[in-house]
Amino acid sequence: MPTDVLPEQAKAPSPGRKPARLGAPRRPETGDGAVAFWMILPAGILFALFYVWPFLHGFWLSLTNWDGFSEPRFAGLANYWRLARDPIFLGAIENNLIFVLSVLVLKNILGLALALLLNRALLGRAFFRAAAFIPVTMSFVAVGLLWSWIYNPVFGLLNAGLDAVGLGALKQSWLGDAHIALYSVIAVDVWKWLGFHAVIYLAGLQTIPTDLYESATMDGASRVRRFWHITLPLIMPIVFINTILGLSGAFVRNFDIVYVLTKGGPNHATEVALTYMMTKAFQDGQMSYASAMGYVLFLIVGLACVLLLALMRRSRLAV
Amino acid sequence: MAAGTSSFATPRPARRGVADTLGDLGWRGLLEFSGIYLALGIVLLQTVYPLLWVLFGSLKTKTDLINNVWGPPQELVFQNYADAWRIAGIGSRIVNSLSITAAALVVLVAVATPCAYALARLKFRGRAVVLAVTVAAMLVPPQVMAIPLFLVARDLGMINNRLGLAVIYAATSMPLSVFILRSFFLTLPADLEDAARVDGASRLAILTRIMLPLVKPGVALVVIFAFIEIWNDFFLAFLLLRKPELQTIPLGLVAFFQQYDSLWNLYFATLMITTLPVIIIFLLMQRQFIAGLTAGAVKA
Repeated sequence: MPTDVLPEQAKAPSPGRKPARLGAPRRPETGDGAVAFWMILPAGILFALFYVWPFLHGFWLSLTNWDGFSEPRFAGLANYWRLARDPIFLGAIENNLIFVLSVLVLKNILGLALALLLNRALLGRAFFRAAAFIPVTMSFVAVGLLWSWIYNPVFGLLNAGLDAVGLGALKQSWLGDAHIALYSVIAVDVWKWLGFHAVIYLAGLQTIPTDLYESATMDGASRVRRFWHITLPLIMPIVFINTILGLSGAFVRNFDIVYVLTKGGPNHATEVALTYMMTKAFQDGQMSYASAMGYVLFLIVGLACVLLLALMRRSRLAV
Repeated sequence: MAAGTSSFATPRPARRGVADTLGDLGWRGLLEFSGIYLALGIVLLQTVYPLLWVLFGSLKTKTDLINNVWGPPQELVFQNYADAWRIAGIGSRIVNSLSITAAALVVLVAVATPCAYALARLKFRGRAVVLAVTVAAMLVPPQVMAIPLFLVARDLGMINNRLGLAVIYAATSMPLSVFILRSFFLTLPADLEDAARVDGASRLAILTRIMLPLVKPGVALVVIFAFIEIWNDFFLAFLLLRKPELQTIPLGLVAFFQQYDSLWNLYFATLMITTLPVIIIFLLMQRQFIAGLTAGAVKA
């Protein structure tokens, strides 16, 4: 949950530097160098061991042909070529994209709607806010198990509910039908994170000065117009924050929920890149091939983040 | 607070212009009022009722569960909880989760704080590089490196090793934590530190005695984030803990679910035992929690 990333980048040039320039004669204070070295060293060691080493090692591995036991043989880009022609992997990437897009749209629209509801002097506002936030504190596993029971065809809440209101015709095998399983999984992810995004939107809404609305009302602007012309433009930075937070999450943190709900089935209908990667690595022993998937996924996530940040920078100038 | 669109909570004297009906508590206001509560009621229903349903289910007999899907249990079967605790081995899973999370948080704070302090306050060559690397690392989710991370952990003897997993958790939570802590250190006034330096205090003494107490909210925020992340994690634990007796709560839940066939009421009980404490902690601390969460995101 990198909530602090964005505001910080905006004011990146650190104030620590200024005094040095003002107090001219004392040239670069390398006196701090030794202290800084020792203070950063522990973090540096962890970083080298668990970021740099795996990252490089995995990349080398993705260029070899390795089953996990014998000596790895260099194979160039063979794994990547194979990925480009692997229908299951391509299907998984497609599912990932559907997952990300639906989740982002739903989380933003529903999150903003919920925040607008809560952004009023309501009796019991804190209560509703807390209730909406509860799923955020639950683990993906707990959420996944809960929903696998809700979707259960025999005693599940959803089918029983449809029966109770006379919509029995809509009953489904929610996780068993290849046409809807992916959307059932997506709904669970939205359910878990809705409160998180709503709370962030709520905080954003509360920074909008009230007098803007008052003068607009005075000028006879309708509620809809006030929303489009005041709320929405001023909330755009928060939309971007929510989108960035949702984006990386939806790409790389869906393993738990897919694994618990469907394990990628039926017949790969809910397969995402991470579940396929784990299957290839630990069931089929194709470590190199699975590593290559990790890098493709990394490239896609990185590209999406960079694009979004560029868009954000541009439109911030425009707004 | 109220963003000017609604004013029914603070009834104001009727205005002259009848045209502006929005603020008035007429029948239209009443309609809006009930509309909002209806919508919030639906929100409440869809978040809270499923949990209530699990609570009900955890206290039902199995036949009661099938025949009476919706309502509260006919009779309260507390035996479910005792059975679930025993069969699912929840006790040892809680111990594992607690010890791994605690160790990870200790390592994380001990390692990330000095690094964040150095990045915020010390002047040294390469600072910009270290900072850039920290930001870049936040964009590399550990999940994409799962396979090589597994191999590295294996080479270091960290498979099936609780302390090893704790250290890896600390490492994967580190970039974001350093970043958050650094932004807290940056907000502290520089003269505080200068005064102490004039008095001859060492950098380490300044960090531990003067700065650390002042960035407590930052440390708390980092600990809350990392706690939720680590306590709830399934992926890395699934990757690195392969022995049943070492499993954490999320692994144990999944294993119990897959190992036994349709012990539904017991499943419900295990979910209650493992989820309710966290929800209660959240409800008790929600003010700090939500304040910390939003403080970072909305300063933009």
